[in-house]
Amino acid sequence: MPTIRRTKVEFEGRIEEREVIVEEEHVEGWTQDTQMRWVGRPLSRVDGVARVTGKAGYTHDVHLPGMLIGRFLRAKQPHARITGIDSRRAAALPGVHLIWHRFNLPPVAHLDGRELFGEELAYEGAEVAFVVGRDARAVGDALGAIEVEVEPLPFAPNLAAAAAEDGPAVLVGEDNWITPDGDIYARGSVEAGLREADVVVDLTFTTPTAAHCCMETHGSAADWEGDLLTVWHSTQSVFGTRSSLADALHLPMDKVRVISNYIGGGFGSKWGAEAFTLLAALAARELGRPVKAVLDREEEHLVAGYRPGSRQRVRLGATKDGALTLIEQEAEVTTGAYGGGGPVIGGPAKDLYLCPNVRTVVRAARANTDGARAFRAPGYVEGTFALESTLDALAHKLEMDPLDLRMKNYADESPSRGEPYTYKGLQRAYEMGAARFGWPPQADAPAAGPWRRGYGMASQIWGGGGGPPANAIVKLSPDGTAEVLVGVQDIGTGTKTVLAQVAAEELGLSLDAVRCVVGDSLPAPFGPGSGGSVTLASAAPAVRSACREALRQLIALAAIMLELEGADPDAFAVEAGDIVYRADPEKRLPLTQVTAKMGNYMIVSKGARGPNPDDKAINTFGAHFVEVAVNVETGQVRVERVVAAHDIGRVVNPLTATSQVYGGVLMGVGFATTEARVIDPDTGLQLTANLEDYKVPVMVDCPEIEVLFVDVADTAANSVGSKGLGEPPIIPTAAAIGNAIFDAVGVRVTDLPATPDRLLALLAKEKTQ
Amino acid sequence: MTIHRFAHADAASLQEVVAALDETCLPLGGGTDLVAMMKAGLMAPERLVNLKTLPDHHGVRPGDGGWRIGALMTLADLAADPAVAEAPALASLVEAVLDSASPQLRTMATLGGNLLQRPRCWYFRNPEVPCWRKGGRRCFAFRGENKYHTLLGGGPCYAPHPSDPAVALLALGAAVRLSGPAGDRTLALDDFYVTPTRDAQRADGYHPVTVLAPDEVLVEVLIPGSAANARSAYVKLMERGVWDFALVSVAVNLALSDAGQVAAARVALGGVAAVPWRATEAEEALLGGSLTPEAIDRAAEAVVAGTRPLEHNAYKVDQLKAALRQALRRWTAD
Amino acid sequence: MALNFRGPDAVPLTLQINGEAHQVLVEPRRTLLSVLREELGLTGTKRGCGQGQCGACTVILDGETAYACLTLAIECEGREIVTIEGIAQGDALHPVQAAFIQHDGYQCGFCTPGQVVSAVALLAHTPQPSEAEIRAGMAGNICRCGAYPAIIRSVRAAAETMAEQEG
Ligand SMILES: Cc1cc2nc3c(=O)[nH]c(=O)nc-3n(C[C@H](O)[C@H](O)[C@H](O)COP(=O)(O)OP(=O)(O)OC[C@H]3O[C@@H](n4cnc5c(N)ncnc54)[C@H](O)[C@@H]3O)c2cc1C
Ligand code: FES
Ligand code: FES
Repeated sequence: MPTIRRTKVEFEGRIEEREVIVEEEHVEGWTQDTQMRWVGRPLSRVDGVARVTGKAGYTHDVHLPGMLIGRFLRAKQPHARITGIDSRRAAALPGVHLIWHRFNLPPVAHLDGRELFGEELAYEGAEVAFVVGRDARAVGDALGAIEVEVEPLPFAPNLAAAAAEDGPAVLVGEDNWITPDGDIYARGSVEAGLREADVVVDLTFTTPTAAHCCMETHGSAADWEGDLLTVWHSTQSVFGTRSSLADALHLPMDKVRVISNYIGGGFGSKWGAEAFTLLAALAARELGRPVKAVLDREEEHLVAGYRPGSRQRVRLGATKDGALTLIEQEAEVTTGAYGGGGPVIGGPAKDLYLCPNVRTVVRAARANTDGARAFRAPGYVEGTFALESTLDALAHKLEMDPLDLRMKNYADESPSRGEPYTYKGLQRAYEMGAARFGWPPQADAPAAGPWRRGYGMASQIWGGGGGPPANAIVKLSPDGTAEVLVGVQDIGTGTKTVLAQVAAEELGLSLDAVRCVVGDSLPAPFGPGSGGSVTLASAAPAVRSACREALRQLIALAAIMLELEGADPDAFAVEAGDIVYRADPEKRLPLTQVTAKMGNYMIVSKGARGPNPDDKAINTFGAHFVEVAVNVETGQVRVERVVAAHDIGRVVNPLTATSQVYGGVLMGVGFATTEARVIDPDTGLQLTANLEDYKVPVMVDCPEIEVLFVDVADTAANSVGSKGLGEPPIIPTAAAIGNAIFDAVGVRVTDLPATPDRLLALLAKEKTQ
Repeated sequence: MTIHRFAHADAASLQEVVAALDETCLPLGGGTDLVAMMKAGLMAPERLVNLKTLPDHHGVRPGDGGWRIGALMTLADLAADPAVAEAPALASLVEAVLDSASPQLRTMATLGGNLLQRPRCWYFRNPEVPCWRKGGRRCFAFRGENKYHTLLGGGPCYAPHPSDPAVALLALGAAVRLSGPAGDRTLALDDFYVTPTRDAQRADGYHPVTVLAPDEVLVEVLIPGSAANARSAYVKLMERGVWDFALVSVAVNLALSDAGQVAAARVALGGVAAVPWRATEAEEALLGGSLTPEAIDRAAEAVVAGTRPLEHNAYKVDQLKAALRQALRRWTAD
Repeated sequence: MALNFRGPDAVPLTLQINGEAHQVLVEPRRTLLSVLREELGLTGTKRGCGQGQCGACTVILDGETAYACLTLAIECEGREIVTIEGIAQGDALHPVQAAFIQHDGYQCGFCTPGQVVSAVALLAHTPQPSEAEIRAGMAGNICRCGAYPAIIRSVRAAAETMAEQEG
């Protein structure tokens, strides 16, 4: 029986108590020893052929008969007031079907609480007009022909300007500080922490504003059939998109179908409906033809979010033997003109180590840029960089091995919740990583040339436990094939494959007999957005539960066929494709024989994610060990080797899991060494709105990456024993790189990215001291 | 990102091309720069002439004891050409070419287009910034975000020349042959590249850094022969491992006597001036000596003579020294 | 003889793509990428940047890789164009494709067509590339998902398969 319950769910560093309808899963958890046929194997993705042949259809690729193209004209300055728009010349151009703007508003000009086509343009890239035309050329020509009159307003392009005493108002009539007092977490007292400390390390840091750079830029296509709206949207959340669209368009939810089958990267930036999604839908309704609107690369940099840059200060206190007495972390960020409070930069500080006195503050201000968005472990990446760098500095000051210092302060329980973990494999990750990497590192022979070698490590904590609500439907056909419908998305993580493995395992079918449908809100029951690394841990138990329910029905049928009618379903097991009566294993039937008996109908079952355990914290952990080479003459940093050891509970598919770790590490390398958004302080314009000036790593920059998993089933967390992996592997990389640089050349990188100019400046300063 | 409308013709002969070229009709090589510039709305020629269909200038020929390289040769073909790849004296050119852009861009880009590409400066490439180089009033980099900008040659524009091959060719003492309606002329690269001035300006406002006239085509690059004991190297420093423009680069060509003395030296620098830059002080410092550590130190000091860093690019001074050292150290073992 | 200017209005072109001739009527300002995707429905070739900065649009022109986003379609007449759709022989995957599947040489898959095309061309020129040659040869294809280690493994494996098939 479904009941309403409160359950704790962690999402991107914040614990939420959710009131949810909880259905029991009716499945026994898989234990560490459960014999598995599909789960745990490095299986190739089920949609591999479509991916390598170019047949995989992304939102960019949607092409419908009669489809028109839509595009925004965008603000070309950081802050202005619109005084006039003349679109007559543009509207008269061939192939132009529609132009909407402030003085010719679309039927709906609000989305998720924000006004579209308002008077104030508060960032470069803000929407000025929407043009729909025959093709990209017609639209592009029209955009160039629209005349816009604006009155420029003073602007604050960065934190310094926004925080200045009499700095310009980012938004007219609004305070520049969004959270002036900050988001504060505290336990114990800073004074006590300082008093008890024998040594204190106090460092300040800056981290860059980082762009997601999804290779598929954001985009949507919309088509109406009567009053049913179908939207293809490159999104991490089909249901989130559905609710915002239904809300904006005043449509019943079931009249909106959102499809996101293949997604060319999201990393946190592709969440609900976007302005272009809504406008495409409105224009499609108005014109009676499908409309597609896709951002180009420059727009992607201007309006599709970023990880906000931060200024941070970290103070650590410790006793002589290395016991932490104080962790204090203060951070300031700007989250854009319409941004929210900052990310949870203090998350790692409050939970990574045992320490009685902890205080973290995050203050967020506006700036005249678009809004920040979640970006792969928001807050934790930048927070961990500062925290783990300072911890390394503390280790040096104490003349302790950095890993020993971490073990000294190892937390067996969740420090912020005071509750035990369902499982914590960090120590095991340390051991595995250290053994593979060779830690503590041996001293290198003195270098002859300009290159110096160094070794560093850092740790990581993240949520990723997932939780309800998440549902699944299983349809079992008479030919013994199963369709699994889940309302989640596969954003490159292998979700389709991994959930199919879980279903095949539970149903006792072979993997190719299972087809998993994700990324479509119409057939699928609700599933969570693919963020916070919750997809697998939320959806896989729901899939198991639906499969179990299907089996129950099938077993009832088998029981009749085996002349065991009325036997308890739990008296049967599925083994190697057979339904077996436990008491008498001779009594068995191939599953397909049973399904064949069903005649021309199917078994349909549903399942739900059960609640999270009460009073236990579910977290993921890991440690990175990094080798770098630093050129003391040119300032170049080469990240040469990374050993990444992670505890994510049970690894359902080591092949796709390893891929995710590669991706996280490489993004960490980019964040640490080359990537930074630059806004010109003078004009307020972004200078890096492309993939040339915004430098993401290329293949040559990729270190040798070795991936290790603790791979112990977290049986207390959920019935599958798995936790999320999308975010953990980006978290510790930058700190480990910075620590390795320190080891190589004795300078502490406190400002990322660690580009040659910065390295040379640090080395020069070190020399003069 | 929408290209304006233009007409297009395939060239069959040089005469017809130069007869057609003017400020509104531009030659197109690989298009890797021009098409991107048009997409950004920064160039809008009415007509384009595809040079790649010309029958000549696609290969390497011997000439005057040296090499004559067709301007329509792609960078990929150039680096792979046996006559080039196997000539020790051209090692710097091959390195410079292979350090340029990406494999795909190298199979598309022509040598001529590479030498004539426009700056990659992030102010210049931003259509919303009315910078001096494209006809505006001031250089926004001068007091702005100038970490990638120049150290040498002063203003009014502080955008570095983006080409790697040009730097190598300058150190090789190369010349270019230009074809125009009035016939051909050959210019040393030292004379072909000129720092941009107020007076030299195209109709669209652009201040060029070469003396190429709007109706001229760059047809050939001439590289003189070199001494038997020639040494040649190109060192480029980047932020990414590849596919990145030079922070700084150094091309060095030396002739060594049998005793290991530097008999001739040419050093050119990239990433630090509006044009590929001859480092004559470094050349003088090297001449006559052998490549001892002290001589290398002296050359490294000399190579940064006259540099005037902007607010964010002083690191390039150190990098220039380091890049020159890196190049010279290659030969200290022999 | 004067130059024969065509355009700016649409002109008829014949493009030889994956062994088939295609007729299109397009303006000279059209890139090969937009013609492939919008006129011919060959959407396997992706647009990541449109500026020669990512490699998602990589195609093979007369045996060499090129960015379709900076290539004018009008200049492709008479050239042999191979796109991702032309890499497999019917249902038989190219060894590079099979290797990408086996070694998980992708994550979101958006850069994958470009990666596969680059790898196919690389192996045609350099059948037994070293790791350094793979890294340099694939340098013009960005993968934001960071599949590089798996891509390197895929290219290596494909080289081995192809050597076996040869031998
Ligand atoms: C992402 C990226 C990275 C890059 N990295 C590098 C790098 O690291 N190093 C480097 O050196 N370059 C780099 N480049 C630049 C690239 O090498 C140039 O774009 C290319 O060499 C230009 O050659 P093209 O034949 O394509 O020129 P086009 O784009 O065809 O032409 C460029 C200009 O020259 C004119 N022109 C062309 N040929 C002739 C001729 N024969 N006579 C007269 N005028 C002519 C054209 O009218 C145009 O104005 C990079 C480019 C990109 C997009
Ligand atoms: S789309 Fe052509 S290189 Fe990015
Ligand atoms: S697989 Fe996503 S960009 Fe390469």
